[in-house]
Amino acid sequence: MTEILVIEDDSSISELICMNLEAAGYKAIPVMDGLLAEAFLRNKESREVALALVDVMLPGKDGFALMEDLEREKIPVIYLTAKDDVASKVHGLKAGAEDYIVKPFEVLELLVRIEKVLKRTGRSRERIEIRDVVIDLKEHSVTKRGEKVPLKPLEYELLVTLAGSKNVAFSREELLNRIWGCDYMGETRTVDVHIGQLRKKLDFYHVIRTISKTGYRLEDLE
Amino acid sequence: MKLWKKLAGMTAAVLLAAMGVSGAAVIYRSALYNQQKTVESCEHQLKSTAYAIGRELENGLLEEYSEPTKNSFINYVVKKYGAEEYILIEDDHEICNLTPYELKNPGDERWNQNESCSVIQRGGDQFILISGKRVPMMGKAEYKLVLVQDISDLYADMREQALFILTVFLGAVLVSMMLVFLATKRLLRPLKKLQQAAGDITNGKLESRANVHTKDEIGLMAADFNKMAERIEDQVTELSLVSEQRRQMLGSLTHELKTPMTSIIGYSDTLLHVNLKKEQQERALWHIKEECSRLERLSSKLMSLMGLYDNDSILMEEVQVAELFDQVARLEEYNLREKKIRLDYSCSMKTRRMDRDLFESLLVNLIDNAAKASEEGSTVFLTAQGDRISVEDQGCGIPKEEIERVTEAFYMVDKARSRKEGGSGLGLALCSMIAQLHGAELSIESQIGRGTKVSVIFREI
Repeated sequence: MTEILVIEDDSSISELICMNLEAAGYKAIPVMDGLLAEAFLRNKESREVALALVDVMLPGKDGFALMEDLEREKIPVIYLTAKDDVASKVHGLKAGAEDYIVKPFEVLELLVRIEKVLKRTGRSRERIEIRDVVIDLKEHSVTKRGEKVPLKPLEYELLVTLAGSKNVAFSREELLNRIWGCDYMGETRTVDVHIGQLRKKLDFYHVIRTISKTGYRLEDLE
Repeated sequence: MKLWKKLAGMTAAVLLAAMGVSGAAVIYRSALYNQQKTVESCEHQLKSTAYAIGRELENGLLEEYSEPTKNSFINYVVKKYGAEEYILIEDDHEICNLTPYELKNPGDERWNQNESCSVIQRGGDQFILISGKRVPMMGKAEYKLVLVQDISDLYADMREQALFILTVFLGAVLVSMMLVFLATKRLLRPLKKLQQAAGDITNGKLESRANVHTKDEIGLMAADFNKMAERIEDQVTELSLVSEQRRQMLGSLTHELKTPMTSIIGYSDTLLHVNLKKEQQERALWHIKEECSRLERLSSKLMSLMGLYDNDSILMEEVQVAELFDQVARLEEYNLREKKIRLDYSCSMKTRRMDRDLFESLLVNLIDNAAKASEEGSTVFLTAQGDRISVEDQGCGIPKEEIERVTEAFYMVDKARSRKEGGSGLGLALCSMIAQLHGAELSIESQIGRGTKVSVIFREI
């Protein structure tokens, strides 16, 4: 499972991030202090970490100062901070961060940005498992109980998007934008039709749930 | 119009009026006098000549002479007494006229009197004085003697004199105007400086002052002006300081609000959109509640801090300090027992003027802080002695370089720890504000690892 380091001193926000990362299928490692983070990064365990979410204002050692340690371990960084002034953003990005997210943030936005960074740095997952379905992201193939399920390209994209941030609800507009492109002028009905196809082909009637007033969610809790 | 112009103009007008009237009066008076003197001397001359001619003619037995003889005799007599100035009139025709003039009305009754009568006639540039009287003599015949004199020279003299006086007078006005002009310019120089200083202040150079040290009204005004400028400068400096503090406080406040907001928004967003396990859902709700109560605490602290800024709600009364300590100890009892901390208090102060509620909240805040810094099982000391009330703990202490900043709103030495204990970063700001309202001062002594002592020192006793 992809490991994500969460360096955040506020316990409530740290738990919030970890909760969402775990729901979406990542393994979250919370660290509450700059110096603890530094110590953790000297440790061998840190080799497994695919990405770090770092708060800027930290006790012990601040987020900008931690950049050096994270770079040494070749861990891509997303800053997650209440500092929304341009100077801080520029400083963070220039120092080598992959992205900069200002608090308060939306869960979906955070997950999407994490996914983008992982993809860009070549650390995205190779396969996603949902119950008895395995999505091979390298082969672009989907198997259910070992049997290959033929999916059209748009159906495959839709499945990958939903499974990439599983347990998180996407709105129909969001899905349209991400899969069909933002200049696609089709109706949101198009999404419903494709969701129907996926449910039928994978027998996901109870896995892909319709969330009223929002959209769809692929549910899979251990 | 400029003041110096006004003053010079006014002086000129007053001088012109005053000297004009007096000058004209003097000229008129002297002209009149000269004229009178001339007339008098002429009349005197006429009188004596008339008398003499009268005597001669009386003695001359004129009736016995033939007409030509009589005429030449009269001519002879008149010539003998006067130059070419006399006209002799018999009845109403001239019988002898030695002057270049001719009388228009020789029968004029004015000259047929014993007293002489004078007339001044003007013809072009010439002034002629004509005086006449009866020649006093016995006999039937009546003669009148008329003296004609050219007095143009007198008038020319008078005109010359008037002209001279006018010149002198205009000169004097001019010179005095110049003097007034220079004097006012000199007098008004301090005003110019004052004006310059005022202009500087208007343009934002608040430190500018009027450098005027005269002892007159302008000097007094400049001194007052400088005092005013000083007050304004002080107030502006103070205001900008206060607004800077408020700005910083607002900045910290927004940051302080952002953290609980991030949690609340994040957890509620998660609850709405993310499929969570039952216990995770409960955790999320618990966090939302927790962060909301953090916001609640923050807002009530903030409200009391704001409330202290408009201080009409303060009720000063004589308070028994020992009684206050008992009350505070009761309030803190539960809180301290939970942390297994003992409160040791002693009081050697009888009464003091204070707002009971505010001071209570100050002490509660200080004791809370002390308890947060202390280990389990240690003691917090509350003492009142001399001019100070102190709260002392044996806790972790405050780093030296941070002591000055701890009374700033939202300043926390150890953020993570303070949050965990439910701190808002406003407690000491509140305490120092309350102390200030009591004319007291908050003094903090601390040693890392040994403890902290916060004292409220009352300035006046």
